[in-house]
Amino acid sequence: MIEMVNVSKAYDVSPRALSDINLKVEKGRFIYLTGPSGSGKTTLLKLLYAAERPTEGKIGVNGFDVSRLKPREISHLRRSLGVVFQDLKLLARRTVFENVAFALEVLGMERRAVVKKTAQALRLAKIEYKGNCLPSQLSAGEQQRVAIARAIVNDPLLLLADEPTGNIDLGSAKEIMHLFDEINLRGTTVVVATHNEELATALPRERIVLESGRRVDSPLSKTLAFA
Amino acid sequence: MRGYFFRQAWQNLNQNPWINAVTLGTISLSFLILGFFLVIFLNTKGLLEDWGGRIRVTAYLADSATAERVARVREEIRGFNEVQEVSYRSKDAALKALEEKLKGQRGLLNGLPRNPLPASLEIRLRPEYQNAVGVQRVVAKLRGKPEVEDLQYGSDWVERFSAFVALLQVLGLGLGGMLLVAAFFVISNTIRLNIFARREEIEIMRSVGATGLFIRAPFYIEGVLQGFLGACLAIGLLFVLFQLFLIKVYDPLKDLLGNFPLLFLTAEQSLAMALGGMVLGLIGTQVSVGRYLRI
Repeated sequence: MIEMVNVSKAYDVSPRALSDINLKVEKGRFIYLTGPSGSGKTTLLKLLYAAERPTEGKIGVNGFDVSRLKPREISHLRRSLGVVFQDLKLLARRTVFENVAFALEVLGMERRAVVKKTAQALRLAKIEYKGNCLPSQLSAGEQQRVAIARAIVNDPLLLLADEPTGNIDLGSAKEIMHLFDEINLRGTTVVVATHNEELATALPRERIVLESGRRVDSPLSKTLAFA
Repeated sequence: MRGYFFRQAWQNLNQNPWINAVTLGTISLSFLILGFFLVIFLNTKGLLEDWGGRIRVTAYLADSATAERVARVREEIRGFNEVQEVSYRSKDAALKALEEKLKGQRGLLNGLPRNPLPASLEIRLRPEYQNAVGVQRVVAKLRGKPEVEDLQYGSDWVERFSAFVALLQVLGLGLGGMLLVAAFFVISNTIRLNIFARREEIEIMRSVGATGLFIRAPFYIEGVLQGFLGACLAIGLLFVLFQLFLIKVYDPLKDLLGNFPLLFLTAEQSLAMALGGMVLGLIGTQVSVGRYLRI
């Protein structure tokens, strides 16, 4: 499902955002990617959905060799995964329903299928009752659910979430985590990046811990398999 | 899928109505000016061809020239490269023609003791020599011939008019060309603004795996549509102006202008302009999409 071998990422300015990362996440897992701000969590996620290219190393995601992916092949990779962005990226002038449906429309899906799948995703994210609202009319937790609904609407094999509980209270954050758990139980592999230790403890799952761009959860072995 | 592209393109057009209106206006103005000069050029070209066909050299013959010598000269002239046709007009025929022209005032000619009009050779030139140079070459060859008493020709005004038409042509192409370049930049800029206005949507499209075609197509449709509508608007406006000119200016002065039929753009020329608008829109879009929408 996900495999990183000796992956490093350097931007123009030093130090490296990621150094020598090795990991393997098998299908159907729920993984926390934790570490303090600036530890490289977002960079690691970006490498997984090919928003960034590794400086060194090899990355495999859903059967794609991401490190060698041609620009025109990126869309194929991204159709197999869903991303919940830290800043949500909801379209302010579109309703909740339209925001979610948009992710399918732009893939050229037939209108009837778009409506059906959008309704299912909104139901799963427990936000279907706000379908006609604009994002600005929702609470932060509700907006988060819309972003999750959009990320899962195309039945991805892998769901990546970058700090999905960053702007919401702990109660809502736990609900969101349970939602991820529910999505995971349906067979989707889930990787949630968070710096919130309390949350990761409240719903304990396997963890990959980053610090200053290095993996620090497994001092004995560079490659940790969650088999 | 196609429905999505057009819906999205329409949404883009509606997103910045003022900017799009200015774009459409600029394209229309450019094509209007180009079309205006094209119509003028088409008509003046026809007029020139018509007038050029009337360029003749008339050689008035000396009364002393015998029929045999006249026939020899006529044959000689017919052999000139520049000459298409030579026709002979006898003294009697010249008088008859004058009488025809004078119609009611024929009495004026009654008192004449003898026919004062000379016989003449009417020389028509080949189309490629229907200009001042051609006329001068023929005139030079005829001058000094004892059978030819006098020569009448006039081509300077045709030359001047021809130069004026050429000037109009350059002016029209220059002005229209400059405006087309301006229209190109305006289209390109409008597309850039629309890309900027939709940057969040584009980001989401990329993140969910929309193909480059899906992201770019609406912008191309928008650009091509603007170019097409702009050119069509220009053709429509030009047609209205043309009709107004016919009614208000041309018809009252028809007789004065020699009843020359005025022409509008042909269907092919109109179509070419509309296609030109589409190409302009396509290139304008390509520049912005290539620069600001790298997938």
